[in-house]
Amino acid sequence: MRIVSGGVTDVGRVRTNNEDCFRIVESLNLYVLSDGMGGEAHGEVASELAVETIVKHCMDTGAESSGMQIGNIEPIWSEKTKRLTTAVHLANKNIYESAEANPDQHGMGATLTAAWIDGQKLSIAHVGDSRLYLLRSGTLQQLTSDHSLVAEQVRRGILTAAEAEESEMQSVLLRALGAVPDIEVDTEEHILFARDILMLCCDGLTRMVTEPEIAGTLQAETDPTKAAEKLVALANERGGVDNITVIVVRVGTESRGWFSWLRLWGRKKAAGNGSAGGR
Amino acid sequence: MAKLSLMFEEKTVKEVPVGSRPISIGRSPDNDLPVDNLAVSNYHARVYFEGGRLVVEDLDSLNGTFVNELRIERATLHDGDSIWVGKHHIKVDASGDAPVPWDSGRKASAPRINETMVLDTKARRDMLQQASAAGERVQFASGRLKVPTLVVIGGKSDQKEYMLTNKLTVIGKSAMATVKIKGWFKPAMAAQINQRDDGYYLGPGEKMPTVNGAPVTGPVRLNDGDLIEVSGLRMNFIYRE
Repeated sequence: MRIVSGGVTDVGRVRTNNEDCFRIVESLNLYVLSDGMGGEAHGEVASELAVETIVKHCMDTGAESSGMQIGNIEPIWSEKTKRLTTAVHLANKNIYESAEANPDQHGMGATLTAAWIDGQKLSIAHVGDSRLYLLRSGTLQQLTSDHSLVAEQVRRGILTAAEAEESEMQSVLLRALGAVPDIEVDTEEHILFARDILMLCCDGLTRMVTEPEIAGTLQAETDPTKAAEKLVALANERGGVDNITVIVVRVGTESRGWFSWLRLWGRKKAAGNGSAGGR
Repeated sequence: MAKLSLMFEEKTVKEVPVGSRPISIGRSPDNDLPVDNLAVSNYHARVYFEGGRLVVEDLDSLNGTFVNELRIERATLHDGDSIWVGKHHIKVDASGDAPVPWDSGRKASAPRINETMVLDTKARRDMLQQASAAGERVQFASGRLKVPTLVVIGGKSDQKEYMLTNKLTVIGKSAMATVKIKGWFKPAMAAQINQRDDGYYLGPGEKMPTVNGAPVTGPVRLNDGDLIEVSGLRMNFIYRE
């Protein structure tokens, strides 16, 4: 499957520093996003350390690290899913140990949302309140659960979704990298289909921009980088109270020989031209 | 003068003024504000003035003291704040006092949180427990062990029944689809069923499915017994015990 992707990060309109960090590794179809927290510049240290650790571990095909497993690893998972989950545990360990060793970094942490596409298989590893969305046939579905207090209260029926949006407790996380020596990582595997669109983002986007607006932008703008830029611009228009980071990944059609070419040709003909360009 | 009002479900149980002496709160009757509830420790918390500020202090209570929604050990109080002990809360009225540097027109909130923070495991457990006690709207339990199932009642598919165990279910001809439709000219992905926090939602794929005869253009929440039709396949969505 042909995959195109793009990402944008922006400091926003209120803050003076950007504590977000993201990385796209095209050769692996690996996408990693992290939102750091902690005083001074330590949020940046944490998110960068998280992304670095994960990318490094996923790229390192050396024998030593290939069999390495940390945390709760299910035997039925694919090798890539196991590796990605281990990488997130490793990132947690690195941030925690760095904060322990440097008292001024105490309290630093980071959210982490990562997606790795291997053929049709999507591996997700997630901790915190950044999000991964799937847009499939016009339906936007959040694949990750927010590890925030308000989200948990909504799941338990204590708050309504509307009350949660108004809550001043939105920044209270139940899980993040670096807070404790061992964490629980949410890991999922899914099958991707032609024309699926993935979006990874931090809460700086989702607090400013609604889900229908996200779905609309992803459908209207076929260039992934431009789609990410438009979403960031929209969040800034609304006030941009936090850093905003967006990664958009578009999955192309499965190439199945002459028949798919015929269909593509048919579609092109029907649409005039250009509409099939990004697919 | 500052005043504390002990409330239970919006009814005022008792009011006490706060003077120079600390106000004690707890289950034992000799407290200034006795709270008759098993979730409250004998000597649970106290409220007093310190440097012109009203302060609440938890006395190592078992279930904790919360200001608005945050568990505290010690916190300054502001007009309109609520102190939670067990299922009771204590409204803080500091309106008659010297002005405190606080925007009282805003919604009351405890220690303000602008920066993202992480709760440790204990604090998180306590807070959620407390929050559910306060909210009393927990609606877990019933029907938790029911498995959402698609039962095929017409059309050709690779199985007669499908348990929806994944967050994403695809109905279509694709080899990767969960529910595989058989036959010529069927779409690779005809429709999708996605799990969300509050249930299962049917959405269109390349085709527009129907639920009980009504066309589905966007995600529609499925109810027990719904009839789904798409690409010649007819299925019942049921919650199986």
